[in-house]
Amino acid sequence: MSLEAYASAKRDEIHTDVLLQARQACYKARDAFYSCLEKHSDKKPTEIGSVGLLYPTECKPSREDYVKNCRVSWVKHFDRQYCKTKRTQRLLDDKETRRGV
Amino acid sequence: MTLEFRGKDSYTGSDTAVAPIIGGPFTLVNSENQIVNEQDFLGNWVLLYFGYTSSPDIGPDQVRIMAKVIDTLEAKKNLKVLPVFVTIDPQRDTPAQLRAYLKEFDPRIVGLGGPVSAVRQMAQEYRVYFKKVEEEGDDYLVESSHSMYLIDPKMKVVRCFGVEYNAEQLSKEILKELKKHQVNA
Repeated sequence: MSLEAYASAKRDEIHTDVLLQARQACYKARDAFYSCLEKHSDKKPTEIGSVGLLYPTECKPSREDYVKNCRVSWVKHFDRQYCKTKRTQRLLDDKETRRGV
Repeated sequence: MTLEFRGKDSYTGSDTAVAPIIGGPFTLVNSENQIVNEQDFLGNWVLLYFGYTSSPDIGPDQVRIMAKVIDTLEAKKNLKVLPVFVTIDPQRDTPAQLRAYLKEFDPRIVGLGGPVSAVRQMAQEYRVYFKKVEEEGDDYLVESSHSMYLIDPKMKVVRCFGVEYNAEQLSKEILKELKKHQVNA
């Protein structure tokens, strides 16, 4: 496509789900879900989210809210980041039992 | 045997190291649907960021840092640096999208996009790697280095900053470069 054609084409559609208000709503829902995970970390995780993230049924409502407020690709991105952080934390905390590994 | 360096050019280590030349001419479309090329930026210091509006976290953080830096330099040092955002997701980041997104951070940020080929050409010149990932139809992320480039009034890339710089550090480093440029001018 030529630049002139690109510049003159009418493309007014805006993806509002990545603008400030939507981002803030997504972050809020995401943080609420992860707080729930922390709060109920002693419960057995029976539900499965994206990228292998497991969570207990107590967090199902906050999960639904999170998924409703964020794009699928964003949910996957944040879940992956969360899992990575948890894994690193576990490795750092588990000094005694993982000697030699 | 001792080596002596004569003449006015003395070896100063990293300052005289030859760096790869990045950057080059480009022609894109701004958020007002106008055609823009690198000539339009000559005479200005430019802070350039290659990003995309669908970035979940790093993108908004970097644009926020960019806006804060521009503000700091203007308010405290009366120095004007032009902030430019070039989209690496030209398919979804239309001029209207760029306008809506960037104005929430700072109305001074210039948004540039265009046909995929034009964006790809500029990205290549600036050695910017970008790749669609997690693709599910129209929903995808774009993997890239998220670096910011400081460009001098002759459109020469002077510095490249990674995400490890916060607004304060970035302002400090840019100020250093601007002062250096004044000395050499």
